[in-house]
Amino acid sequence: MINLSNIQHFSVGDGDGIRTTVFLKGCNLRCPWCHNPENLTADPVCLHYKNLGKTETVGKRVSVEDIIPELLEDKDFYETSGGGVTISGGEPMLQAEEIFTLASTLKIHGISVFVDTAGSVPYDFFKVTNPVLDGYLFDFKSADSEKYKKIGGNLTLVKDNMARLMADGIPFKVRIPLIPDFNTDPDSVHAMCENLCEVGISKVDLIPFHRLGTSKYEAMGQSYPYKDTPPLTDEELRCIKSVYEEYFSVKTE
Amino acid sequence: MKTFELLNFELKNKPSEDFTPYYFRAQGLEKNLSAKPCTARADGIYSLFSIPTPIILKNEWVAGNLHFLFTNIENFFLDHAKGICRMFPERSFETNKDHYAPNYRHLIAVGLPGLIDEIHHSLKLHENDPEKCETLAAMGRTLCGFKKMIENHAAAAEACKDLEGYDHEKLDFIINNCNAIVKGKPQSFAEGLQLVWFCHNAFLMEGRYAMALGRMDQYLYPLYRSDIESGRITDEVVVELLENVFIRLQDDIVNICIGGQNKYGECEVNPLSRCILRAVGNCNVPGPNLSLRYTLNTPDDFLDDCLKTIGTGLGYPALMNDDVNIAALKRFGYEDDDVYDYCMVGCIENFLSGKQPPWSDGRFDTPRYFDYIFNRGISSTNYSIGLDTGDVSDITSMERFMEVLEAQLDYGVSEYCAGFYKRNNSINQKFYPEPFLSCFCDDCIGKGLDINDGGSKYPSVHGAALMGIGTMTDSLAAIEKVVFTDKTVTLSQLGEALKCNFEGYEDLRMTLLAAPKYGNNDDFADKYAVWFIDYLSSLFDKYKTRDGGGIYVVAASNTDNIGAGREINATPDGRLRGEPLSDAASPTYGRDKRGATSTVNSVTKPDYTKVACGTVVNQKFSPAMFTDAKRGKLLALIKTYFKKGGQEMQINATSREILIDAMGHPENYQNLVVRVSGFSAFYVTLSKSVQIDILNRTQQE
Repeated sequence: MINLSNIQHFSVGDGDGIRTTVFLKGCNLRCPWCHNPENLTADPVCLHYKNLGKTETVGKRVSVEDIIPELLEDKDFYETSGGGVTISGGEPMLQAEEIFTLASTLKIHGISVFVDTAGSVPYDFFKVTNPVLDGYLFDFKSADSEKYKKIGGNLTLVKDNMARLMADGIPFKVRIPLIPDFNTDPDSVHAMCENLCEVGISKVDLIPFHRLGTSKYEAMGQSYPYKDTPPLTDEELRCIKSVYEEYFSVKTE
Repeated sequence: MKTFELLNFELKNKPSEDFTPYYFRAQGLEKNLSAKPCTARADGIYSLFSIPTPIILKNEWVAGNLHFLFTNIENFFLDHAKGICRMFPERSFETNKDHYAPNYRHLIAVGLPGLIDEIHHSLKLHENDPEKCETLAAMGRTLCGFKKMIENHAAAAEACKDLEGYDHEKLDFIINNCNAIVKGKPQSFAEGLQLVWFCHNAFLMEGRYAMALGRMDQYLYPLYRSDIESGRITDEVVVELLENVFIRLQDDIVNICIGGQNKYGECEVNPLSRCILRAVGNCNVPGPNLSLRYTLNTPDDFLDDCLKTIGTGLGYPALMNDDVNIAALKRFGYEDDDVYDYCMVGCIENFLSGKQPPWSDGRFDTPRYFDYIFNRGISSTNYSIGLDTGDVSDITSMERFMEVLEAQLDYGVSEYCAGFYKRNNSINQKFYPEPFLSCFCDDCIGKGLDINDGGSKYPSVHGAALMGIGTMTDSLAAIEKVVFTDKTVTLSQLGEALKCNFEGYEDLRMTLLAAPKYGNNDDFADKYAVWFIDYLSSLFDKYKTRDGGGIYVVAASNTDNIGAGREINATPDGRLRGEPLSDAASPTYGRDKRGATSTVNSVTKPDYTKVACGTVVNQKFSPAMFTDAKRGKLLALIKTYFKKGGQEMQINATSREILIDAMGHPENYQNLVVRVSGFSAFYVTLSKSVQIDILNRTQQE
C-alpha cells in the first residue's frame, strides 16, 4: 500500500514534458519554508478552507494498482511532450519499495518516471528504486551542515548520495530552492556551487521561493513562518543566477 | 513611432460631422425610385461609391477609410435622404446580409476589369432573359461605382500633394496602385492588397459587418512570391503594408485565416502566413480575428510563433483543427476543392469563401428544457411553453428521463427551426437584391442571379448555437448519480428544489455539486456530452434552410451563455437561477479541477465532425506558460488535443491578478485584450458580469 497525498495532472514544473505528479505523504525533513505542509506527516491531515467553506482530508493508503489507471489517462500527453510521471512528496524515497512497484508497472507501459527527492535518506533506498526510474530531481538546499541539521537533514549523506548516483550512472537533475535568509546570501551561494562542483555537477535548476502555500497552513490551523517573506525580486534572482552561471548551466523555474 | 501607430491616431480622430452613408446612397436611389429593385439599389450603391470625395490619411500606404462619409448637410436634407433609403430596406444578419467571405481569390486572379468583362460576357449569354440582364446590369453598375471610387482615391491623393504634412512617396504609391488596379489585374502584392482593402471598405460603406478577409496567405501569395523573387519587396515592407490595413480593424470582427492543408494533405503555411501573423501581433488590436487552420504537418516553429503571439495577451490566432473541420464540411456534400479552401467568418464559423450566401445563426438554449420536464411544460422563469411530458414521479429510470428529455429537445428544435424560417423568410428575396455582394460570389455573374436568389454555387446555411453543453452534461450526471444511483432524493423533490432555486435545499445543492462533472475525464459525466452532440446534431440534420442548405450545429456561445443563463431556472447541476450557463463547448467554469490534460481528455470525447460550424473551447493559461521554458509543453498539450479530435482551442494568457486589478483600475489596462469565446475585445470595455465570467474560467496550470 502506498501512502498517497494527491495526484496532480498537467504538471509542467516537475521534470521534462507534461507530467502527472504523484504526491506521497511523510517527510523526514522539516523545512520551515515547505509549501506542502500537508505532506509532512504520514498520518492524514485535515484542511479547512474557511473562505471557501471547504474541508478536505489529505492522505490515504491505496494499492498501487488502484492509481495506475489514473496515471495512464494522460499517456498521449506524455508521448507528445516527452513527459511522464513524477513521484514527489513529502519525501517519496521513504516509500522506496512502493515506488519500485509503481514505477515497474509504469515502465511496462513505456512511461518515464522521475522521483523528486531531498536525498537525505540512506543510499540503500536509492538502490531499490534505481533500476526502475528514469531519473531523479534531486534537491540541494545548503552547503552548511549545521543548516541541514536544523531542518533534519544530513549534508554529508546528501552529497554522498549524489556522488553514488553519478558513480552508478543514474541520471538526476539538481534543483536548488532559493530561500531568502537561508541560502541566497553570496557566501552560501558560493559554498553551494563549490560543493556541487566537487561532486561533478554541471547543470542546476533554480527554484525561487514563493509563498503560495500560505493558505494551506491556514487551512491546517497553523501559521506559515514565511507568510510575510516576499518573493525574490527579479534583480535578486538575476544576481544569484549569475553566480550559479559561473559554475553551471542554469535553468530557472 | 511606427507608421501604423501614427495611422491609429489619425483614424481615432474622426471628422466631427455626421456619418451619413445613406445621404450618398439616396442620391442614386432618387434617380429612378420606381425602377426594378436591383436597378434602383445599384444606382444607390453607385452614388454611395462614386460621389463622396475620398480622404487620404497622412500615414496610409494603403488607401481606404470611412472618413469621407461624414457630411455637415442641413438636417432636413439628411431626413429626406433617410426617408428615401427607408423605401429600400436592408437585409439583416438573419436574412443573410453579412458575415461573408468574398471570393478574393478570383478577384485577385482576374482583377476588376476582368470581373466587369465577365459581366459583359454573361449579359450576352443571357440576352434573351430580361430579368437576368437587369440583374447583371445592376452588378455591373456597382462595379463601375467601385471603379470610380478607386479613381477618386487616386485623384484625392494627387490633390494631397499640395497639402502640408503629406509624404509624396506614400501618395505616389497610392496613386500608382489605384491606377494599376482600375486598368488591369493586380501585378504586385501592394496592388492586390489595395484592391482587397477597397473591396472590404466598400462592404463597410454598404453597412456590412463581420466581413471576412479569408485566406489572405493563399490568395495574395502568388503576388507576394513574385515580388519577393524579383526583389521588388521585402518581408519588412509586406508586414508594414499589412499593419497599415490591420490597424483599422478595431470595431469589427474580421476573420483572417492562415495555414491549412490542400486536398493532397500538404500544409499551406508559407512565408506570407508568417508576415500576417507578425503584422497582427504588432498591431495588437482585437478586430483582426486571426484563425490558424492547424494540421499535423504545420511547422513547429510557426506554431511556436503563434503561441508567442497568443502569449502577448492578444489571444489569437484561434487554433482550428483542419482535419475535423474538413470532415465536418464534407458531410454536406460540397466539392473537395471548395471544402479545402474553407475559411472562417465572424468568430469561428466555417465558411466556403465566395461560394455560399452570407451566414446566419441563432441561439438554442438546451438547459431550459429541464424546466419543462419538472414543471409540466411551463417555464418557471418566463412562462415559455414546452411539452407536457407528465408528472416526473412517473419517471423511474435514467433511461426514461433521457427519453423525456429527447422528446422535449425534439420539440424544441422544431420550434427553433420554425422561428428561424419565419425570420429568414420574412423578406421577398426579389425585393432585396445585393448586386455588389453578388459580384464576389460564385457563380452569380455566370448565372445572372443574385447571391440570395439562386446565384451562389451552394445554398445558404444556418448555425444553431447550442448553449450549455457543460450545464447540460453536469445536470444529467447529477440526476443519474443523486436521483437514480444513490437515490438521495426523488425527481419530484429535485423539482421542488429547482422551483425554490435551492432555497431551503442547500444540502441537496451541495450533493448535486459534488456529483461527477464534465471536464475531469470521468465517463460518468462525459458520456452525456457525447450524447449532447450526437443527439442534437441528429435533430438539426432533419432540417434544411429555405434554399436547401444545411443547418449546422455550433458549440460556441460568444458571451450569450450569460444572457441565456439569466432567463433560465436553476438546473440540476446545482447552478442557481440566472447564473450563466457553461460557456461555449467548455466545461462549466471552475468545475474542471483536474488540470488541462483531463479537460482535454473530456472535451475530445464528443464527435466534433458533427459540428460543422465549429466549436470554441476556452482555456486560460498564466503568462508563465508562454515563457521559452514552458511554451513547448503548451504546444504538446495543444497537439495532443487536436490528435484526440478536438476542434478548436481559444487560448487566453492573462493572469487572474491582472484581470482583478483591471476591474478596479480600468484606466491602467486600456490595451488589455481578452478573447471572449470566439472574438477578442478590450477587457475594460466589457460589462462587469462578462469580466467576472472571464475571471472564473478555470485558469489552468
